[in-house]
Amino acid sequence: MKTNDIILQTVTKFTLFVIILFSIHLFFAGHYYPGGGFIGGLMTSGAIVLLLLAFDIKTVKMILPVDYLKVVAVGLLFAIGTGAGALFFDKPFLTHAYTYAYLPLLGKTSLHTAVLFDTGVFLVVIGVTMTIIQTIGESE
Amino acid sequence: MAFQILLNFILAFVWMFLKTSYSPASFFVGYFFGLLIIYIFRRFFNSRFYLLRVSAVLNLIYIFTLELILSNIAVLKAVLRPKLNIKPGIFAFPTELKEDWEITMLANLITLTPGTLVVDVSPDNRILYVHAMDISDADEAIQSIKNTFEKAIMEVSR
Repeated sequence: MKTNDIILQTVTKFTLFVIILFSIHLFFAGHYYPGGGFIGGLMTSGAIVLLLLAFDIKTVKMILPVDYLKVVAVGLLFAIGTGAGALFFDKPFLTHAYTYAYLPLLGKTSLHTAVLFDTGVFLVVIGVTMTIIQTIGESE
Repeated sequence: MAFQILLNFILAFVWMFLKTSYSPASFFVGYFFGLLIIYIFRRFFNSRFYLLRVSAVLNLIYIFTLELILSNIAVLKAVLRPKLNIKPGIFAFPTELKEDWEITMLANLITLTPGTLVVDVSPDNRILYVHAMDISDADEAIQSIKNTFEKAIMEVSR
């Protein structure tokens, strides 16, 4: 018998967005407060897992047509790219640079290349987690 | 569409609570991230991603302004011409629009552009009777209305 998941699905439709927003908050909090790319990525993939619980794998693939292995590859490229970027400025590998910028809406903002490295971590964590879960879920 | 906008607002406020900063700037940042998430999950909703519809509304405003200027120039030419060689008349314009507000919008847009004027709408909302200043090419007028206004309104409501 197929049970009716309407309550779970409706709550998911709203909660999903709040969870992902919280994960973005954690991701950007990483420099000054607890948080960062790893926990942010885990939280995002947690939201997608919630989606997988509420709907089936086919629906989630329709909603998010993403090849998670490619997400891993892009994340690794981000990490290597920010590391290699330092070599162009005669600095050792993985030297990070930062500056303070006055952006029109945000006010005083510190721009740090570590954020790009963290983006790589974020993407790799999402990709790896989702690959593991989807591979296990698909096999009979 | 209304649900998406409401969700985006709520997400912006959630962001403000997470950041514990209640400035307009953090609202906009939260709105931006909410927009990003909604864009990524756009297939999740029954209707289209709502920014597309906002751009369709802007496009409709642009088309209306352009047509207003062009047709006003056309009327000015007809008025200033020493001889009146126009042929006024009424033609029927079969419309595909269904909703009340769509038909009202189309009728108002046709009326506000000089040279044409909606006289009546048929009881079954299928045909608009349009009075044209120069009816020598009614088919062309129908086609031009269909291609500009009706298409742009459909783009908004689709």
